[in-house]
Amino acid sequence: MRVDVRALGACNRLAERGAGQAAGALTDLTGTDLSVEVTGASVASGEDLAEAFAGRESIGVSVGLRGGLEGEAVLAFDAANVDALLSLLPGGASMGRSAVSEVGNIALGGFLDGWANYLGTAIDMTPPRYFEADGAAVLPDGALAGDGVFLFESRLDATTTDLDFSIYMLPDSGQFRDLVVGKTAPAAAPGAEGGAGNDGAGSTAVPYESLSTFASLAKRGSANAADNIAMMTGLETSVDVSRLRFVPLADVPAEVGVEPHAGTVFELQGEPSGYLAILFEEESAAKIAASMLPSEPDEPLGGMAENALCELGNVMTSGFIDGWANVLGTSISHSPPEYVHDIGSAAISPLIAKLSRRQDYGFVIDAAIRTEGVQARCDVYALPDERELTRALDRLSES
Amino acid sequence: MSHPPSSREGALSRAPDAGRIKVGVSELAVATGGETLTTSGLGSCVAVALVDRSTGVRGLLHAMLPNGTETDTGMERPGKYVDTGIETLIAELEAAGAAPDRLEARVAGGAEMLDLTDAVGPRNVARAEQRLDAAGVPVIERAVGDGVGRTVRFRADGRLVVRAADGFERTL
Repeated sequence: MRVDVRALGACNRLAERGAGQAAGALTDLTGTDLSVEVTGASVASGEDLAEAFAGRESIGVSVGLRGGLEGEAVLAFDAANVDALLSLLPGGASMGRSAVSEVGNIALGGFLDGWANYLGTAIDMTPPRYFEADGAAVLPDGALAGDGVFLFESRLDATTTDLDFSIYMLPDSGQFRDLVVGKTAPAAAPGAEGGAGNDGAGSTAVPYESLSTFASLAKRGSANAADNIAMMTGLETSVDVSRLRFVPLADVPAEVGVEPHAGTVFELQGEPSGYLAILFEEESAAKIAASMLPSEPDEPLGGMAENALCELGNVMTSGFIDGWANVLGTSISHSPPEYVHDIGSAAISPLIAKLSRRQDYGFVIDAAIRTEGVQARCDVYALPDERELTRALDRLSES
Repeated sequence: MSHPPSSREGALSRAPDAGRIKVGVSELAVATGGETLTTSGLGSCVAVALVDRSTGVRGLLHAMLPNGTETDTGMERPGKYVDTGIETLIAELEAAGAAPDRLEARVAGGAEMLDLTDAVGPRNVARAEQRLDAAGVPVIERAVGDGVGRTVRFRADGRLVVRAADGFERTL
């Protein structure tokens, strides 16, 4: 089975539009302005998802999908935000779970309308089921089984109140894969790639199994990077989250956020080429740098800290890309580190701009690495060139 | 379609606290009421804020690259490029009641954040100046270049508040 990454992009845009409709419905209901922050499609194994959701408590509703699309969709609020949500609703806290069910129903209805329009068939929703769940139990049934699922995830953000929530949709794999593959033909036909006559459309289809393999590779890369930090700093490290997602590139800066960050960025050369950014929030950056220096630096993020972070970035990046290169059977090298210290989204935006010359959607591997003892955390964003990665994945399946 | 903030603007102006319209990367939006248009984390990207003072109609663009390529002309997501973004923003402002010959511009961003990315920031700014000049829109003030990220708020009074990553704030 081959997955066309362009078709996956189209589906992703649909999920984004559906999330926009859900936000609009909630804006009307609550009078609070909501916007869609991030929409992404994950290709993740059940084990990865369980790890990613560990420790979260969620409240929300789930609905079953029948008709044009089968599967399950879930809308979840962080349990800590539920009081804020209830206070916005007519009837307030006294409404409790029925209010949550109603909100979920309206938002999910809006979300699915977008998909139904695209597919040109009706999608029926079963009545909403209220739930309170720990960890990955929030995910639709079946997400944790099997070795790879598509999960669409949208995060909505209330600009005036603390009311973030997520919508997860897990389409029935077999049917959805057919849909993604089915869309390949029309997308590829009338010169989707400008009719350049090269490998154009063909080069965007990759075997599903390779994507799934790459997702687990990405995880290995993150583990290597974490091990390298441990060796360098003597601190115990762990990887909190590591996921391979397919996202609109323009969403990535918003995801990094507006907090000041310090870290390093690298250009990758080889197959695939691309960029890698390792970003720490300021406090974490200062702590991890101090742990590497023989004495307390004069300035928390001055020249000495900069050198330490560059050195750390170097070893992390080698750890990260070694994993890819081994499995893809290609050679990948990286540039010397370039230090950044700025608003997080501003620091990553030039990388996004460069990649966006050739693609609007991209694979993003994001990993959160945490150190014990000295409380510090960093996010790694790996941004490979889509076409080159697709080629490499394709070869992987042939060998 | 591809720039949701402008299409959602109607709903926002009905909301009781119609305060803020967020403009994401590669997006543009128009405001006709008292809303503040905001965009955050401008690195090498450039923000172009246009206002027609006599009608109060305002628009904000957050563009990522100077101009489109052969394979991507910016038709689908006009806000991605400075070229198509400015053109589309002026058209949307006109549709919302602004007169193109009364527009004035404020420009922010276009920082040179990284050596790795061959000066995309300064090229974005140069392109914006060029396109605004060609459209006959004067640039009143600018906070551009350097190696610093910025966040902007385009107020109802037509002034652009630019806050740099180091906390320094300027009103253009």
